[in-house]
Amino acid sequence: MRYCIIGGSAAGTSACEMIRGIDKKADITLITDEKFALYSRCLLSYLLAGSINEDKLKFKEKDFFERNKIEALLGVRVEKIDSKKRELGLSNKKKVTFDRLLIATGARPKEMGIPGEDKKGVFALRTIEDARGILNRSNKGVKRVAILGGGLIGMRDAYALGHKGFDIKVIVKSGQILSQMMEKEGAEIIEAHIKKFGVDVMKGLAATEILGKDEVSGIILDNGNKLDCELVIVGKGVAPNIELAKDIGLATKEGIIADDYLAASQDGIWTAGDVCEAKDLVTGEKTVNALWPCAVEQGRVAALNMAGKKTKYEGSQSMNSLDLFGLSTISIGVTKPKGAGYEILTSKTENSYKRLVIKGDILWGMTLVGKVENAGVYGILIRNKINISDYKKILLRDDFNYAKILPLIKKEAQKFCKPEFQDILLTY
Amino acid sequence: MTDKKQKKGVKIFCDITKCLGCKACELACAVEHSKAKELALSIKEKPTPKKRRKVSGVEDKIMSFGCQHCEEAPCVAACMSSAMYKDPVTGETKHDKDKCVGCWMCIMVCPFSAIIQDVTDKVAMKCDLCPDNEDYACVAACPTNALFSGTPEEFKRRVEEKSSPAALKRTKIKSGV
Repeated sequence: MRYCIIGGSAAGTSACEMIRGIDKKADITLITDEKFALYSRCLLSYLLAGSINEDKLKFKEKDFFERNKIEALLGVRVEKIDSKKRELGLSNKKKVTFDRLLIATGARPKEMGIPGEDKKGVFALRTIEDARGILNRSNKGVKRVAILGGGLIGMRDAYALGHKGFDIKVIVKSGQILSQMMEKEGAEIIEAHIKKFGVDVMKGLAATEILGKDEVSGIILDNGNKLDCELVIVGKGVAPNIELAKDIGLATKEGIIADDYLAASQDGIWTAGDVCEAKDLVTGEKTVNALWPCAVEQGRVAALNMAGKKTKYEGSQSMNSLDLFGLSTISIGVTKPKGAGYEILTSKTENSYKRLVIKGDILWGMTLVGKVENAGVYGILIRNKINISDYKKILLRDDFNYAKILPLIKKEAQKFCKPEFQDILLTY
Repeated sequence: MTDKKQKKGVKIFCDITKCLGCKACELACAVEHSKAKELALSIKEKPTPKKRRKVSGVEDKIMSFGCQHCEEAPCVAACMSSAMYKDPVTGETKHDKDKCVGCWMCIMVCPFSAIIQDVTDKVAMKCDLCPDNEDYACVAACPTNALFSGTPEEFKRRVEEKSSPAALKRTKIKSGV
């Protein structure tokens, strides 16, 4: 059996590992357009901040490909999929054949679509090359940095460079930062905190042009004002790389549509990771949850199915974790509900904030700022749709932890199949 | 390293029927993870040694809990720097402090609230099954034998055996009732 995997990040590598675990004799080829392999994209902001070096970006051992007997084609782009001949056309003019294919092509930063975006000193932070470029540039007398976008990527970049003492301005179109992740009240706590460390958020504004001759010298905002800066980082989110899939007529929407077994709409092709649009556990709708843990899990499930072990994908859960200058925040599930029938519970102290979104006695989502240690406990209540009608006050309390929900787990024990849950229940 | 510590699947269990909530396990855990490894000396250490176990009320009962070293560990799958990993021999969920960047993805997915933030070093922290100790500090400190180290099968056997008359008698003698 010949397996081909397009993409060498979280989904691609976890799939390789799983296929090799099941099928010792299979031919496995992994193709990625990046030369620097096996690094964790999510760690790039830590590289930028100077808290780790390039060696520590690696999330697999150096001999990962050899040990798993995987033919890795690095720095090679797949230009065409021929689904009839079961063949991939590569940028090095070679062709490789496959019996089963995984498309884990990931996503790329969205562009602003404004004049001047091609000037030197304008970056996104998605690849190691981007990070090297920013580091290189920031060592050349850069003092002022404009970050376009106040989402997770924008905030992580702001932290990384703010941490190094640059003067940071974050330009946010909406009335708050992290608008995809949480509602305003939580975001305001974070905004006030990062301001103390020199990160200034300018809300309700957008850049309309990037100025400079060859190199960036500033930006023009939509209120007509000019802002001087030597470095611009675009953090407007990512778009899945669906072109290859579209070319062969696979069903796509935002990403490549996957069924409950992560198969794409044609025989012999599966999809996983940031390009995959699969079921969301909480809403039940198909969504691209572009998250590291989801990509790893999807890679594994897709691989199991590819290798003939039919395994249903339970679904992904929207969640995020962020730490800015020592203030942690985690959100899971539906945090900004649309429509009626939701009950919102909040509690706030000087340095922590908790917000729970409840509907029909079930926890749908939550946001924690400051004190986050119990995030995963809320997570399993959300994931398993546990009835929390008598527990609303307990969920909000400061001393909430796993022990507090043990009665709920006992009541709906059939939903908690993992042996660890059952072991704890043995004496309760 | 004792043979017991090399056995696959060994971890710490709590018999909730026996836990009194004395927090001896919490204290022993903090001391075990101090520099001095002795109560009187470790109290004054900076940063203050931290416990990796929690004692908490469950309705009218009390339990002590920590990392379950899950077979399919969500923290390992979620870790983007491979700081969390499984020991291939013992199955223990291990944490490499040097690789950890403090992104808290592990906390986000741990159902047992067993991972703690070490804010001093900005890294995750959890039960490491006492690598510097022949025994397990919390189990050794537990005055009622509520805490037990062993495999899930051994714990199950112990719980079943406990309800036999002979075992009940043994417990009474031990606890001085």
